[in-house]
This record gives sequence, C-alpha cells and structure tokens, in this order.
Amino acid sequence: MNGARWLAIYLPRLATDRLIRSGRAPDDDRALVVYAKQANAYQLTGVDARASALGLRLAMSLADARAMQPSLEAVEADPEEDNRALDNIAAWCERFTPVVVLDSPEGLFLDITGCGHLFGGEEQLRQHIVTRLRAQGFVSRAAIAPTPGAAWAFARHATQKPANLRDQLQASLTDTNEGVAAKLSPLPVEALRLDPQPAALLRRLGLKTIGQVMQAPRASFTARAGAQAMLRLDQALGRAQEALTPRRPAPMVFALRRFVEPIFSAEAVLRVAEDLCADAAEKLELRGAGVLRAELILFGVDGRDRVIGVNVSRPLRAVKPLMRLFREKLNVIAENLDAEFGFEAARLDVVRLATIDESARTLAGVEETAASAEQISSIVDVLSARLGPKRVLRAQVHDEHAPERAAGWRSALGKPKKSGPVVKPARDGVQRRPIRLFAPAQTIEVMASVPDGPPIRFRWRRVTREVVRAEGPERIAGDWLKREIMRDYYRVEDKQGRRYWLYREGHYGEGDAAPRWFVHGLFA
Amino acid sequence: MSPRLAAAEPGFAGLAAIMAGQPLHEAGPAGPGAEAAALGFTLALAATWVGPAGLFWAGEDAAFGEEGGPYPVGLAQYGVALDQLIVVRAKKRDEALWAAEQALAARGAVVICALGAQGKPLDLKASRRLLLFAERSGSRCLLLQPENGPSAAWTRWRIAPAESASEDPRDLGLTAFAAELTRNRAGPSGARFTLEWNAHEHSFAERSQEKCEAVLRPEARQA
Repeated sequence: MNGARWLAIYLPRLATDRLIRSGRAPDDDRALVVYAKQANAYQLTGVDARASALGLRLAMSLADARAMQPSLEAVEADPEEDNRALDNIAAWCERFTPVVVLDSPEGLFLDITGCGHLFGGEEQLRQHIVTRLRAQGFVSRAAIAPTPGAAWAFARHATQKPANLRDQLQASLTDTNEGVAAKLSPLPVEALRLDPQPAALLRRLGLKTIGQVMQAPRASFTARAGAQAMLRLDQALGRAQEALTPRRPAPMVFALRRFVEPIFSAEAVLRVAEDLCADAAEKLELRGAGVLRAELILFGVDGRDRVIGVNVSRPLRAVKPLMRLFREKLNVIAENLDAEFGFEAARLDVVRLATIDESARTLAGVEETAASAEQISSIVDVLSARLGPKRVLRAQVHDEHAPERAAGWRSALGKPKKSGPVVKPARDGVQRRPIRLFAPAQTIEVMASVPDGPPIRFRWRRVTREVVRAEGPERIAGDWLKREIMRDYYRVEDKQGRRYWLYREGHYGEGDAAPRWFVHGLFA
Repeated sequence: MSPRLAAAEPGFAGLAAIMAGQPLHEAGPAGPGAEAAALGFTLALAATWVGPAGLFWAGEDAAFGEEGGPYPVGLAQYGVALDQLIVVRAKKRDEALWAAEQALAARGAVVICALGAQGKPLDLKASRRLLLFAERSGSRCLLLQPENGPSAAWTRWRIAPAESASEDPRDLGLTAFAAELTRNRAGPSGARFTLEWNAHEHSFAERSQEKCEAVLRPEARQA
C-alpha cells in the first residue's frame, strides 16, 4: 500500500431515487418498486424506503410483492437510465478529485489521495459527499480505505448493523492501512466483490466471512471459485494491484480548491486560478516539466461544470504568463460563464505537459535587442487563447504538384512539421507564384485568345481586362489518381499593370467543348 | 523631431531608410483593383525590415479576401521568410487591432495590421495606440487599409500596380508599383515613384521619381 486513499460510494436505491427525483413516482404514500424480467419471472430490482419498510425485498417476485401490497407502484427497470444517472453523479463527484471510476450498476470509486485536507479531513469529505447526495435525492453509503476493494466492502457491508452505526462509521470506515485485514475479517464473503456463483460456492464450503477465507489454505481453492476470491482478497488488502479506468483520463498534475462560500465574479475566478497555477507550478517543478495544455474546471453550485482550456506552444510553468492566457480566455467567455448560483470548487488540470529544457533558457542580464523565441511563443499563446488556435497560423509548404495542395496554414501552437520543402526567391527576383490564391479557382470568361495560348481579353468580376503581357504556359499535371485534368498556367498582366495567375483546363481541341479558364491567384 | 533630417541617399532608398527608423506607416490601394499591389508594397517593406523577432500579419477576415487567402509558396518567392511569419486572422476589426497591439509588444517585431473595406477607416485614437505600442517596444507597424482616415502614421502611401518595364510581351519581369507619398509627418508629401521589387535582393529599384527632392530635403523647402 502506497499511501493511496480510496472512497467508495454505494447507492443502494439508485433506481428508485432516480425515479422519485425526476417526478416519475407516485406523489401519494404508495410504495415504489422497480422490476425486471429475470429467469422468466418479474423480480424486484429496486425498492424505495417505503417499500422496504413494508417488507418488500430485492429479488422478490413482482407477483408476491403485489399480493403483499396491492397499492404498489411498480416501474420496469431501465438500466440505461440508471447508468446515465450514475454517470451524472460521477461527473458531479469530479469536484472532489479528478479520478472518479464508475462501478456500475450502483457504485463509484474516488481516488481521494491527498484531497482530504481540502475538506478538513477525510471523514468530513465523506460526510460532505453523503449529505450532498442526500440533498440531491440519492441515498448513499460511503467508506474510505487504502484500497478500492476494502472501501467497497466497508461501504456495503460495514453499516449493516444500525445499532452502533455511528461508532462503526468513525472507527472503521475511514481506516488507515493497519488493521484493514482485521476490519475485513468479520464481513461476509460477499463483501469481496464476488460474482454470485463464487460467493455461493464459498458459502457451501462453509466459508462465510472474509476472515475464514483468509485463514483457509490457499492451495485448496479451486480455480473456478477460488481464483476470483483470492484476487479480490489480495486487491482489498493491497497485495495485488487493481487497475481501474477513470471516467475521464486522469490529469498528470492537478490542483484543487474548494470554497466555503461560492464565488461569482470573474475577478474571484482569476484569483483562484492564480492560486491553482501556483500549486500546479510547484508540482511541475518537481518533474522539471511545464504545461502544454491546462484546463480550469469550475464546479457550479447548480451541479454543472465549466471548463476553460488554454494551450501553450512551448512548455510553461511560470504563473504570470499562464494567468495571462486564462485572463484572455475569460475575457472572451466572461459573459457565458453563467455563474448564476456561483462556483463551489475549482480544479486546474494539466492535461498535457512536456519537459522544460532548463539549459536552453536565455541568460538573465543579457541586453535584448529583439524579442526572444520564448516571448514570441508567449504572444502566440495569448493570441490563440483569445482568438482560437485556428486563427493564429504559420505557413506550411508541402511536397505536392497541385498548387492548392502545395501549401497551407496550421495552428502556430503545435510544433512545426519538419521536412517541408524550403521555398526561396528566384535568383532573378521574379515571382512565379501568386501571393494570394483563390480556393477554389474562379471562373473567367475569355473573350479572345491565341489558339493554344494565353487570353487576349477576359472578363472577371464583371470587369473586362486587356492582357498586355503573358508568360507561359507552365504545365501542371493533376493527380491522375484523382482524375484531375491537366492545367496550363499563364502569368498575365493587364493594361493597368495588374497581374493574374490564370489557367486553362485541358488541351485545346480536346472534345467539342471550349476550354475552361480560371483565375487561380493574384500577384502583387 | 529627430527624423526630420535629410537622407543620406537620394531617392526612394533614402526615404525608405528614414522610414525604417519610424514606428508607424500606412499604405493603401490608389484605386479599385490595386489592393494586391498595396499588399505587395506593404509585404515588401516588411520583408526588408524583418529581424529575429519576426513578422506578424494581423488582419480582419475581410482584409484577407473572401475566398482563399495568402499563399505561402508565393509569399516565400516574394521574399517573406515563412519561418518568421505568423498570420493572425481575426473575425472582427477590434480583434485584429488587439492582435496587432499584442504583437507590437515583441521587441523588434514588424507587424502588418490589415483592415478590410467594410467599415470606416481607422480613427485617430486607434492609430495612436498602434504608434504607442510600437514606440514602447521598438517594433514597427505597417497599417494597410483601403481608405484614408485621420492617422498617427509617419508616412502614408497610395499604391497602384505599374506596368512591367519589359519590352517583351512574353516576359513580366519584376513586380512594379506606382507609389505616391500622400502624407509625411517628417516633411512635405506628394512624391511619386515607380518602383520595382526584387525579391532576391530584398530591395526596391527606382524606375522614375517626381517631386522627390522636396521630400528628402524638407529644410530646404521650408526655408
């Protein structure tokens, strides 16, 4: 065990709570049950508190239940809706930690390692979660342990005796590594997260508690039932690693804040963001890394989150430039922040990071005559944060024949792609390609032309242009795989000195149709 | 005003040398159909000035043309180093101005701020802001806009394409401009030049000039 702390949440009445919460339950005093077809009979898969008080139990047949309580309200189970409700709860739980694991159908795991102190201690956090879920209409039980398995066991089975519930909660639910085994011992074997058959088999073998399983000789377990029991036991005790997949990928570095009073204003959000950036910067320094993408997540009191993401072109961990990016981004979205009910927590996730090459940094004290590459990239970051990465661009030249594919623009944020051909001015200083390219090329009407040569007069944008000079043709073959027609390009100058890049599609005299002419670009 | 001095070199070369030391200049097309020429003149000036801090080209969408846009291969052939170029396409004018101001904060940067035909010309306050940003960090701004407005720019140029000097109708030769200096804070205006841009040499060659003497020797004219 490596000091990890896991909080398991168990939602025993998820199905009925969900129905009551969404108003699809009887508003009188009738009991509510949920049923599903199992083994050719309708069985209860969920009972609300009233039904439970009336003696209705899970796995009871619907017919029996109706016989006991004729006024019963019975709703067919909808596992998909239940799962959606569970996922919503999981999303809400991300305000406590970025690592939330769905444990369908009615549980969640939260990795709360290092998060407890933000809530005044682990027990306070646990109670806070249970209370807040209760306020949202969900009955829950929660327990904390060094492993997901142990937390799961405590959440489901350690609170079954209501008599000394309180003491038991305090004593065992938030336990440390020591004594986990001792606390697990009295619990039933079902607390090991077993499938029904292995659990039944253990019981037939006379092993009713986890303690008895622990003491039984390992070798005597058959592969069929024993393997799972042994694995689950080892996982609960931390002797075997358990790989859980979080609902969202866990950030490499994160910082979290919870507020006693909700915050509303953009200024308050910025102050918190600055604190979080400072926290994250400390953690990043230990790794010798900087941010490439960070997301500020604001958790609304209304249960919704807002995510504000910033991208950085070279790894960065200084608070000031990071804050500049968040400020620009917030400027743009401030009106959409929609902080009607305020935010109760905020988290900064470093989603992508990269090592900072400390040796490459410029020496302080050197007189700077030009902005450094770092300053340029920080300007690019600010521009991209406010205008969007698709609006701050660097040129990219490709090894392609078709002019429209020979170059393009890419976000200035990412690393430049190497190996593109380098274009230099021609030795004679003359331009062969336009400074502006139309996409797509625009049709022109050629009114007179030299056969198999350039136009003498053409009409474009409702203006007739007289060609005075023309250079060409420069033949550019299309991609025959894409069935592109060959083009003959001409550089032409009109009477006013304006220069165009024209092309004719295909040869003269090919077929009966007149050749089609286009203007593809403009020269200066 | 320190730039109010006679140029060391005669002609456009001397004027360009004075311009290089000033923070804000303005250029625009002399008439409809001259937009490409005005852009070409602006890019050529930027290409001669650009240093390690690079070239930012910030414009509103309307200034980049409705279909297509700047073509990297052509720009590189024109003498613009692509690895030094950052293009910022802003949706709105105030965003383009904001982007230009941000870029001007980079010491030594050259920033083209391009405005579209829609809307009024830039007002004096906005052009003063560009001037201030450029002065503060020793960067240079080239304002490219289709219409004249009150402006804090040191010089303003109206640019039209000029016919090629080539005798051969099958040869276009170098890019040529008819450039008119319509405003000059450092002295009189009104000079006209016919210029050729040599992308390989990164320099303007002067084919003809008018009223250039007065521009280059403001003291003489004032006297």
